Amino acid sequence: MSAEILATPDTGAAPVGHYAYDQVDRAFLHDRVEQFRDQVARRLSGALSEDEFKPLRLMNGLYLQLHAYMLRVAIPYGILDSRQMRELAHIARTYDRDYGHFTTRQNIQFNWIRLEDTPDILARLAAVDMHAIQTSGNCIRNITCDQFAGAAVDELLDPRVHAEILRQWSTLHPEFSFLPRKFKIAISGSPNDRVAARFHDIGLVAKPGRHGTVFDVFVGGGMGRTPVVGVHLRDNLPEEDLLAYLEAMVRVYNEYGRRDNIYKARIKILVQALSAEGYREKVDAEFAAMDRARYRLPPETVAAIRARFGTPVLDAPSDAADRLAEARRTDALFDRWVRTNTHPHRAAGYISAVVSLKPDGGIPGDATSAQIDAIADIADRFSFGEIRISHMQNIVLGHVRQDQLHALWQELGRAGLASANIGLIGDIIACPGLDYCSLANARSIPIAQKLSARFANPALQERIGDLQIKISGCINACGHHHAGHIGILGVDKKGEEFFQLTLGGSAGNDAAIGQILGPALPEDATVDAIAHLVDAYLVHRTDGERFLDTYRRLGAALFKDAVYALA
Amino acid sequence: MDVRNNRRQAGGSSVVTANRLLDGRIVWLAEDGAWSGRIDAAQVFSNDGIEAVIDTATRRQQADGVVGVYGVQIGDDSTTPVPVTVRERIRAFGPTVHPEFATLTEGPPDVR
Amino acid sequence: MPLLENGRLVEDRWTTVGSDDTLPTTGPVIVPLDRLEDGLARPAGEKLGVALPSDADVAVLRAALPRLALVAVTFPTFRDGRAFSQARALREHLDFAGEVRVTGRPLPDQYEFLLRCGASTVQLPDGADPAVWAQAHERFTTAYQPSVRDERAEGFGLRRFLGQAAN
Ligand code: HEM
Ligand code: SF4
Repeated sequence: MSAEILATPDTGAAPVGHYAYDQVDRAFLHDRVEQFRDQVARRLSGALSEDEFKPLRLMNGLYLQLHAYMLRVAIPYGILDSRQMRELAHIARTYDRDYGHFTTRQNIQFNWIRLEDTPDILARLAAVDMHAIQTSGNCIRNITCDQFAGAAVDELLDPRVHAEILRQWSTLHPEFSFLPRKFKIAISGSPNDRVAARFHDIGLVAKPGRHGTVFDVFVGGGMGRTPVVGVHLRDNLPEEDLLAYLEAMVRVYNEYGRRDNIYKARIKILVQALSAEGYREKVDAEFAAMDRARYRLPPETVAAIRARFGTPVLDAPSDAADRLAEARRTDALFDRWVRTNTHPHRAAGYISAVVSLKPDGGIPGDATSAQIDAIADIADRFSFGEIRISHMQNIVLGHVRQDQLHALWQELGRAGLASANIGLIGDIIACPGLDYCSLANARSIPIAQKLSARFANPALQERIGDLQIKISGCINACGHHHAGHIGILGVDKKGEEFFQLTLGGSAGNDAAIGQILGPALPEDATVDAIAHLVDAYLVHRTDGERFLDTYRRLGAALFKDAVYALA
Repeated sequence: MDVRNNRRQAGGSSVVTANRLLDGRIVWLAEDGAWSGRIDAAQVFSNDGIEAVIDTATRRQQADGVVGVYGVQIGDDSTTPVPVTVRERIRAFGPTVHPEFATLTEGPPDVR
Repeated sequence: MPLLENGRLVEDRWTTVGSDDTLPTTGPVIVPLDRLEDGLARPAGEKLGVALPSDADVAVLRAALPRLALVAVTFPTFRDGRAFSQARALREHLDFAGEVRVTGRPLPDQYEFLLRCGASTVQLPDGADPAVWAQAHERFTTAYQPSVRDERAEGFGLRRFLGQAAN
């Protein structure tokens, strides 16, 4: 490791909302970058074949996509600070085509990266304590978390400290870096599931127990070609056993997960094959046999990591709420944005604001480097420099003073970031699809753009209400279409694009997998079909009913007619 | 390699494509055995002889600095080779959601 | 085939016998799992090792383990990471203190992982450059989780210091 890295001073105050690196962490990242630099050199010299290099580059987040390499940068538990955000803008400007794409896994992807540049990009990221480690590959991926963690009024416990512990534990894990398949862990501290815990390989819900923090554990959820809602494996796992139990869970998977068929290699298939009971027995046997003392997570360790998180001083003036109410009375547009784009905060006078990355007719999740910089500046002014990426491909500013919300909204408007559509039909999730992705069957983004343009009218969007449209360009389901109230899946018919609709999916506490409505539609009929679905819903809903509720109450037939009767 | 990439009809013609190792960009096998970033420079092969061309190009991958060589079926009715699948048209002409990144400014306007 | 231990090439004193080879009566030999009984039938003082296929549960060795000086685990391809769990289970569940040898086709980039899972030696695959392996062993000085080597803690949290303590 270089003297230069060691000489970097520990940056004063800890960043709000995430772990502050120290010299040891920085030296580690530096070593990791140099390791990748060597691996790239070995690849270019021919010492490594493409087949051998691929898993190594993937473990640094580097894919080869349709047009170029794509670099996926980890944003652990979705949180970054303004300094890191500005570095992302810099990378977009210098090494890419001036934009980045925020993903449902709380990462950012750059689409036009050169292999040659990657070691330098990783070095720049390391200089702001960021990396691309394990954003791909058959290993434990970026740990995802509730976008309102530490802020939400309904939260029982801030899960980010444990998310950081899991990030560290899984980093270059000696035993679990060559699993049968990718492995995704999500953690939440709220009884209202905002992390899709039941759609992850492991979902953890943290809560206060009688003797400290405990976890409810879900296993075997996932999307892909076999969507499965995870099963409840354990209640009240004590904090000190968290790592030991996860070691046992992942070890059983490493030993018994299928390696002969990539489509049957996820843990969900193993859990189905063994049954939840059978899997639990094996995990319990492993847990009983292992050296538990070695993997114990003592309270002092948790405290030491917690101490490296900056906490915001929340001291809003006592009239903050009144001033927000006043601003809402006098500015109807602002009032609409507050209705859709905010979330209640646990502290008096504070609120969480959601910045929509879904402009009318835009590309979901894309942000230009200028917008990324603007968000960094806004975060410095209004939310302690803390920025969160949500799994809905939006950005959250966690701690905003209510009396400053109007000024924040005006700043967002100047940056083209004030769309008032969170949770509404315009808030569409879409994977990169055939415009970028080498695995795709069809393009996702153009459908999202046409839908969001078609339903651009904010009054109409509010009238339609809570409606999640999720689009995947192929059965891998990166766009979560199985969990969309309306899901759209791209399929390939003789080299042309078709789209299959599913209805009734949900990612929340009422997790469900959407059901296929009927035959796949050609691209030009898909947007109209969605419009017919919405019309049918508006006609048949009862007061206060969401699209999902109407569908669940009345069933598919009515909606099927709305789409196919005319055809 | 994904079978989709290799979908070819018995008759007709194809071009040969890969990604450049250094920057990942899409390239097409041109007349002189060189790789070009433009599909309009690609050499067109009859499907009868295409497997042999792909084999040779695959063996030269490391020396040529390319990865993932495969053949792409094209339509037979235009001067610029136009692939028959949407996927390969997007590879050839650029992402449809960013017209400013089109690979051939004078290329076919509608890649669908 | 060259044998690597702690990043250095060492002499291999073991003979590996296949399923159909005749078993030498003396000298250190590694037998396939299905010939473990034959191996155990040799004189008590003769060193015996067994080659464990990747789909075997290490528990099948429980009874024989006191007689074994070596267990070989294998990588059919570098992508198949079951050997990591086998090595670790040998150390952690069965308290095996003999040599854990890695065979098959691992990558140098997996070397440190192997050591931290309890492997002692690696039979280098054909064409491997021992220098690249040695370098892989020195690449990192920090790890972020406990391992069967019980490295000392580095600062706070879960971190372990890999430096020279790795011997
Ligand atoms: C463009 C490059 C991408 C490639 C090659 C890719 C590849 C894949 C594959 C192969 C799967 C299926 C895994 C399995 O079921 O075993 C998958 C699932 C998934 N990907 Fe992607 N993906 C890409 C981009 C994205 C993006 C942009 C996002 C976020 C918006 C994303 C998020 C997910 C999620 C959430 C799942 C499904 C959940 C699960 O079953 O784990 N991926 N991806
Ligand atoms: S769902 Fe399919 S098309 Fe979309 S990003 Fe994932 S792999 Fe690509």
